[in-house]
Amino acid sequence: MISTFERLRCILVKDYQLAPEAVTMQANLESLGIDSLGVAELLFSIEDEFRVTLPPEPAELNSVGDVVNYIDALVAGRKPAALRPFPTGEMNSAAHVISNATPNINTSNTTTEPRFLVR
Amino acid sequence: MTRVQHPRRVAVTGMGLVSPLGDSAQAAFDAAAAGRSGVGPLSAAFAHRLVSPIAATAAFDPSAHFESRQFRMLDRVSQFALVAAKQAVDDSRRAPAAHLRAYLPERCGVFVGTGMGGTHTIDDGYQTLYGDESDRIKPFTVLMGMYNAPAAWIGIEHGLLGPNLTYTTACSSSAVAIGEAWLRVASGHLDMAVAGGAEAPLSFGSMKAWEALHTLAPVDAARPSASCKPFSKNRCGMVLGEGAAMLVLETWDAALARGAVIVGEVLGYGLSNDAEHITRPSIHGQARAMRNALLSANLNPEDIDAINAHGTGTLANDVTETAAIKDVFGAHAHRLPISATKALHGHMLGATGALECVLSLMSMQHGVALPTMHLDVADPDCDLDYVPQQARRGVEVRTMLSNSFAFGGTNAVLALRGATG
Repeated sequence: MISTFERLRCILVKDYQLAPEAVTMQANLESLGIDSLGVAELLFSIEDEFRVTLPPEPAELNSVGDVVNYIDALVAGRKPAALRPFPTGEMNSAAHVISNATPNINTSNTTTEPRFLVR
Repeated sequence: MTRVQHPRRVAVTGMGLVSPLGDSAQAAFDAAAAGRSGVGPLSAAFAHRLVSPIAATAAFDPSAHFESRQFRMLDRVSQFALVAAKQAVDDSRRAPAAHLRAYLPERCGVFVGTGMGGTHTIDDGYQTLYGDESDRIKPFTVLMGMYNAPAAWIGIEHGLLGPNLTYTTACSSSAVAIGEAWLRVASGHLDMAVAGGAEAPLSFGSMKAWEALHTLAPVDAARPSASCKPFSKNRCGMVLGEGAAMLVLETWDAALARGAVIVGEVLGYGLSNDAEHITRPSIHGQARAMRNALLSANLNPEDIDAINAHGTGTLANDVTETAAIKDVFGAHAHRLPISATKALHGHMLGATGALECVLSLMSMQHGVALPTMHLDVADPDCDLDYVPQQARRGVEVRTMLSNSFAFGGTNAVLALRGATG
């Protein structure tokens, strides 16, 4: 049976154009280029792939291993360890992920060279 | 409105397009001058549910421009906007020493008009919720559907730190965006701006909504590409189009100093509000916008050599616009070549004013009055010179007005001059 890690790695390699060897349990999501929006999108794909429904509480997901453990808990019907208490005013996990994103300090703002998106 | 002295001249140094007439200013101008229509049968899966399954679609392959990961975050309207803006910025750097980076990014702005924003995304969301009865809305729906996404992405892409503004005044949105950008550069608040419009209204929901308003032309069975017939007695409505057009505006002196290729000049911009009816056009409103553009540019009516008309091909607009032009220009109205290019590129709503601005600048550069195609039957109530059916070449066109009028009543008119003017 294919492990949760392998299935997750397939998603990451396909959707984020990552080299398979770069995706390890220890790999940090930010350093793989998956920012807060990327995590929101990844969670959506995980719901499809693993046929789970995400709990409304925000989750602390920093590494690939965190995501694997999160999925395994959901599939087993357990409360994931990554869940944080539902703070007042927080509506859902996506809002939490986005609001706690590390600001992207980009010092290249002074150039007019296109930085990404358009080839 | 009193005359206003603007201390700084504003040059257009770059133009970029995604349009039903081609993917560059030159290609679109060549098509318009040759009378080649971008209107045709719509190939979308929902076409059989439309009364008029025609549109002016842009030949556009997103995979040629975007990685799949970025593509997943962009509604079609933002894709158009980004590609057109990049082309405009590249165009503005044609001269060897022409680098926009001389400008402080804080003094560079983005001004984008869009009438309908991310309609495809919103449509997809509704399909998920109501059609598929699923609660699984895509995670980027808000970011893709929001009206300011096209402008925001342009700002991110090019590192422009000044005002990043989106205007939504229906069919005059991009003329307003260019006019507002011009105001800020002319007045010294900014040194450079990317300004224009983008629209991607050919989603099922959007097209059905326009259809319900009974403003869309029925298909001309003999010639579907000729279904939009501005100023013709047998006109019966507009055809929707999609695309984007962007300009780079900068101060004239700085453009000269950096050796930029100047493609034209924005001389002024007039606004008015009908304040009468939500859709019915007003002679007074349209005339006031044209007068305000002349005042803003310090021009007399006789200084204008040609007009790019709003010319939608609806019964109401074309007769109203004709009367408004006569009201402003008097006897000179009959000497003006008036071009309604929507016959060819369709009504691109929030992007249309910017495309028509580009076509006007190209007209002046090439000394060509663009044709109003499909004007088959003269209308006694539309009795000006609309350059019917065939382009007029070798004409001296130095100064033009480009008219954009809108549902809601916001009329915007740009006063433009060609590069050699």
